Amino acid sequence: MSRSAISTVNRRQSLLQLGALVTLPWAAGSALAQQTLTVQQAGGAVQIPVKPKTILVFDLAALDCLRALGAEVKGVPEVVKFPPVLEQYASKDYTRIGSLFEPNYEVVKGLKPDVIIAGGRSAAKVAELAKIAPTLDLTVDNTQPVASAFKHLKILGEMVGNEAQAQTLIASMQADIDKLKALTGNKGTGLMVMTNGGKLSAYGAGSRFGMLHDVYGIPAANKDIKVAGHGQAISFEFILKTNPDWLFVLDRDAAIGREGASAAKLLDNPLVNATKAAKKKQIVYLNSANWYLLGNASPGSLHDDVTQLINAFSKA
Amino acid sequence: MTTTIEKAPRGGRGLALRPLAFALPAIALLALLAFISLLVGVSDVSVSTLLRLFSHNDDDMATQVLVASRVPRTLALLLAGSAMAVAGLLMQMLARNHYVEPTTIGTAESAGMGMLIGILWWPDMPVFGKMGLAAVFALAGTALFLAVLSRIRLRSALIVPLVGLVLSGVIESATTFIAYRFDLMQAARSWMTADFSAIVQGRYEMLWLSLGITVLAMLAADRFTVAGMGQEFATNLGLNYKRLVAQGVVVVAVVTASVIVTVGIIPFVGLIVPNLVRLVVGDNVRKSVLWVAWAGALMALCCDLIGRVVIAPYEVPIGTVMGVLGSAMFLALLLSRRKRMGG
Repeated sequence: MSRSAISTVNRRQSLLQLGALVTLPWAAGSALAQQTLTVQQAGGAVQIPVKPKTILVFDLAALDCLRALGAEVKGVPEVVKFPPVLEQYASKDYTRIGSLFEPNYEVVKGLKPDVIIAGGRSAAKVAELAKIAPTLDLTVDNTQPVASAFKHLKILGEMVGNEAQAQTLIASMQADIDKLKALTGNKGTGLMVMTNGGKLSAYGAGSRFGMLHDVYGIPAANKDIKVAGHGQAISFEFILKTNPDWLFVLDRDAAIGREGASAAKLLDNPLVNATKAAKKKQIVYLNSANWYLLGNASPGSLHDDVTQLINAFSKA
Repeated sequence: MTTTIEKAPRGGRGLALRPLAFALPAIALLALLAFISLLVGVSDVSVSTLLRLFSHNDDDMATQVLVASRVPRTLALLLAGSAMAVAGLLMQMLARNHYVEPTTIGTAESAGMGMLIGILWWPDMPVFGKMGLAAVFALAGTALFLAVLSRIRLRSALIVPLVGLVLSGVIESATTFIAYRFDLMQAARSWMTADFSAIVQGRYEMLWLSLGITVLAMLAADRFTVAGMGQEFATNLGLNYKRLVAQGVVVVAVVTASVIVTVGIIPFVGLIVPNLVRLVVGDNVRKSVLWVAWAGALMALCCDLIGRVVIAPYEVPIGTVMGVLGSAMFLALLLSRRKRMGG
């Protein structure tokens, strides 16, 4: 959803309620029950209720936003293992409403949701979900991930009636980013690779993991990596030839199951060990669940990930 | 079923000379391609680096690339290509049909399912365990195929591969379903398409096992030739047909599993290579098996080289290149055969 304009609309008594919002925010509860919020998104404008009771969430980044905003969620997707930031949702109190990709429509319908939040992996299902309840498409725009993450936080903050908290979160995320950015400029180049079932692919600026270069300011070791959903297939020789100062590794197998070991085993070979990154001990195993499942673009994941990178870069 | 009947061998001289006359250029061609394979890649490796390798041990970067990456990759290609081609040849003998191979009858798909189960339940399993599990599943899948086949009365040349395709489709869907449920789709896809880009020292040695088994298959070549003539015929000649089939299935399963665990499913080699060789050499396994191994290695080398060059410094997986070239070659093969047989 690009170029979204948020406008609070009250169909019945807009002026009166606007007044109530300004002067008596604490008394506005009952009046707000009928209030809606218009959000422009890829599929057109959608009207979502303000302070909805039953919220269903398919997108994990959005779920992290709602967690940070302190909002109650009724249904979450079925995932093998929730990322640490979202551990609380592993509880059976939350209804499982399908996978990250595929809603279980019967369950969704049965919950009679006031609003459904999809995006990213479930973006293709937005139109179908919208037939059941107002559905927000919070797909992150990879060309401007941070701006898009902030926009989503604002929308969600407005939706749950906690705009102040949204602003606080945005400010702290920005502060995290600035702190990291101040460290990265002169510490050498970086290359981002994903390992998957024993194979390697590279990601460059503008890709789904391009934040490393575009936002965090780490100079790209190879500027020609084309943007592709699953990266560019590369060999170990490519890593050696590129010879980055920093190697950022996302272990996709770990993102969906267990941490660490397998990617490290895969990369422990003479070619990778000959790179500057290996010699300086600057191979960073990213928090794969945060990067892979949350896109590193939600309050909890971004904070964890930036902290990890700040630690790595301040040692260098 | 088109079984070429061998001409009785005439004088000894012609027989001894002819293979040699073909063998020398064949070996030279393979050696040349292997040599090119050593030189092509992201890092710069020159002929002088290669020569230096033989003279004295140099510790520079190019030598390191050569030893750690190029040599293993080239060896892996030779081993995997020839092993898959020979496995295809055996499978064609066992199923008595020229249009089957491990990747079209469910052997490879079953091995993949074994790997998936391994990843799910024992993610830390060492590579030999993974291969064992894949081999057991591959065995079961191949046995299932042969069992289904033995229950089909009218075995026209087309029914057999169709049964195989249906079976492998069913197995693959089951695997996909499990992968989907456990969010392992991409991991599953990573061994569905073969890719040699991650082959380095220490990650291809499993394939030597398939070489050993391929050699075993070569030693038993005559028996497999007889097996290709059917149960009655083989039993008449005093062979234990069932045991022979069991041995063949084990060979095919283990070879397929070792290749899949190391690089993934290589399509078409096992189908096209034995058929091309058959056109020239005939159905006698003893005569054809070395040629099949040679042509399989050659084809794997060619396809991987293409994949390395086309979008360098990135790579197109060999599975993709093979899929494109292989399907074209297979079509050509089918059409030419039809022409030869008069429509």
